[in-house]
Amino acid sequence: MSRMKRIYDWFEQRLQIEGPVREAVLHKVPRNTASWWYVFGSAAFTLLILQVVTGILLALVYVPSAAQAWESLNVLNHQIPLGWFLRAVHAWGSNFMVAVVFIHMAQVFLFGAYKFPRELTWTVGVFLLLLTLGMAFSGQVLRFDQDAYWGLGIGVFIMARVPLIGGQLVHLLLGGPIIAGATLSRFFTLHVFIIPGTLLFLAAVHIWMVLKLGVNEWPMPGRVVHRETYIAEYNKLAHDDGIPFVPGAFWKDLVFSGAVLAAVFVCALVLGPSGPGGQPDPSIIQTVPKPDFPFLWIYSVLSFLPPSLETPFILIAPIAMIAGLLAVPFVASEGEKSWHRRPVAVLALTTVAVAWAVFTHLGMYTPWSPHMNAWSGDPIPVRYLREATPLVRQGAVIFESKQCRNCHQIGGHGGERGPALDDIATRMTPDQMRFKVVTGGGNMPAFGKNLSPPEIEALVAFLETLHPANEPPAADAAQRAIETGGGAPPPVGGHSY
Amino acid sequence: MRLSTLVALGLPFLLAGCGQMPGEPHSPPVPPEQVTDFATLYARNCQACHGTGGQNGPAMDLANPEFQALVDDNTLRTIISDGLPGTQMPAWAQSAGGMLTDQQISAIIGGMRRNWAKPDAFGGATPPAFEQPKGGDANHGRQVYQARCAGCHSGPKRQQLTSPVYLSLVSDQALRSIILAGRPDIGQPDWRMQTPQTSGPPLAPQDVTDVVAYLGSLRNPDVVSAAPTPMPSPRR
Repeated sequence: MSRMKRIYDWFEQRLQIEGPVREAVLHKVPRNTASWWYVFGSAAFTLLILQVVTGILLALVYVPSAAQAWESLNVLNHQIPLGWFLRAVHAWGSNFMVAVVFIHMAQVFLFGAYKFPRELTWTVGVFLLLLTLGMAFSGQVLRFDQDAYWGLGIGVFIMARVPLIGGQLVHLLLGGPIIAGATLSRFFTLHVFIIPGTLLFLAAVHIWMVLKLGVNEWPMPGRVVHRETYIAEYNKLAHDDGIPFVPGAFWKDLVFSGAVLAAVFVCALVLGPSGPGGQPDPSIIQTVPKPDFPFLWIYSVLSFLPPSLETPFILIAPIAMIAGLLAVPFVASEGEKSWHRRPVAVLALTTVAVAWAVFTHLGMYTPWSPHMNAWSGDPIPVRYLREATPLVRQGAVIFESKQCRNCHQIGGHGGERGPALDDIATRMTPDQMRFKVVTGGGNMPAFGKNLSPPEIEALVAFLETLHPANEPPAADAAQRAIETGGGAPPPVGGHSY
Repeated sequence: MRLSTLVALGLPFLLAGCGQMPGEPHSPPVPPEQVTDFATLYARNCQACHGTGGQNGPAMDLANPEFQALVDDNTLRTIISDGLPGTQMPAWAQSAGGMLTDQQISAIIGGMRRNWAKPDAFGGATPPAFEQPKGGDANHGRQVYQARCAGCHSGPKRQQLTSPVYLSLVSDQALRSIILAGRPDIGQPDWRMQTPQTSGPPLAPQDVTDVVAYLGSLRNPDVVSAAPTPMPSPRR
């Protein structure tokens, strides 16, 4: 034992690290701060370490060349024992890290923890968020499959819209005018050296400030931050009602980080790695590329923007968002921390969270995209054909062969761009259907020139049968009045448009 | 290190080593042109019209062993590759603008034969030839139709069979195919006309040809021009 002590002393005499470590470990934090709400930052750092470790292991096999990257991921997935698990942990670690970083940020915002004197901690945190997203995007590119290829294509088109220097930016990013070998080398460098290096450095700065400035006290309504008095108040609180950071607060960090790691492992084991999807071959058009989870909301927003707003939005929105985040601690560096007294902050966070959730959800099933294989792959439900006449059957064939199905669901399958047509006959009369098919309108193209008159008749004959058995089809009230020789038409369900 | 710690740390790896974990990927993605699995090809390309499992779709039921016996491989290949003119069957071969390679079309033909063809599909009977010959006596066909078909194909809806709107959407060959092979999935008899509703001798080869000729003679596109004329569309 004494030999161990002598070795320790030899190092300690030279490093002199015991004092600072002891100070960091035992510094007092307000008792309320040892809360389960304060565990997200440490979990994010734990995930960062997990990503570094799994990333290094992946780099042993991954080949950052356009010709071999996809193949090397398949080697990992299928030939190297547990290679798939390593990829899965890295992918799920990434998803969890993005999620935890966002939750951490939301919690810090809601708890007013960015206020004086922690403005710089928040500012560095904003850059950590951007770097985390940068890691997620560059990682998606390194998974060089169809999603990566087309996702990068969209990223490049966004950059190309920057005025004056757009072209040069694209060239810089891709290492040339097109997505090629140099592109992958650049993203490998970004993902493996530049971004993680910066990320680790800024994370260290972030944690340093947390240690120096103390963990934010639990916000209490009425406990207002004043620049002149805050530090003294905080020190008094930590001194009078404080506990040592280790183990008082630290054990919760440990438990939560462990739980997050366990969740990553379980997701990896059960849900597996992310891709690689199809080969990154632009000549394969049977693909529906989608960005990874953190970017689905951008995908949705861009899909819904009218074309005329695309460029202004793409150029202004990111800058405005980042500027807004950076401005938060400087706009409101003093005042109330408690969410009970900050309705604007609570509403702002709720609005952002709901908008983000809605756009992400929409991005998951992309109702604006036609399902290009529906016309040949989604069968007509058998119950719709049970009583079908020959003409109705032909109409059903035309419904498929003319690809109506790609935009219109029947029986829960098909595109979602237009309305589902399972009960279309209760909403439109045959004449209205003919008119709609021929002239289009709203979001629907006109098919008058693509369908022959018999084809339209057969199609309408099929659509006419699409109504629930207990609900009569829509009828033309005027026509009925003429046929029955006048009189008030009976009320009929359905409306026209 | 205690045993329980060791087990806890090693558990994911032990489990993963089983090769049974649900997350483990099964096979690398196959480019769409190299898919030759019949079930996948059929589900992606055919089942929307021809029905799940080759039946109960709006178009011809392919799971009918009689249909499989009537059509030889070359005819089937031509129909799939180049489409069937006069019907909605599109051309699938890449050479004709479709998305399927010749190997994939072979895989579809092979798969249909494996799954849906049966030896001696006609129970010893000899069916009329699959292809509709030129000519045919429409007048005689009309008599045959009245005598043998109109029993079921009557009433305002069922008569659609003789309406030019319907007939302009199906070719003579398609009509002949369905008369010969029937559609067991929806109760349409084959040329032998044996169902609970129909009886009598099988249709003679000439009867089949003539009925098709009769239906073909009703196919007059001018009659259907009363359907709405395309108008300029108010695009948004």
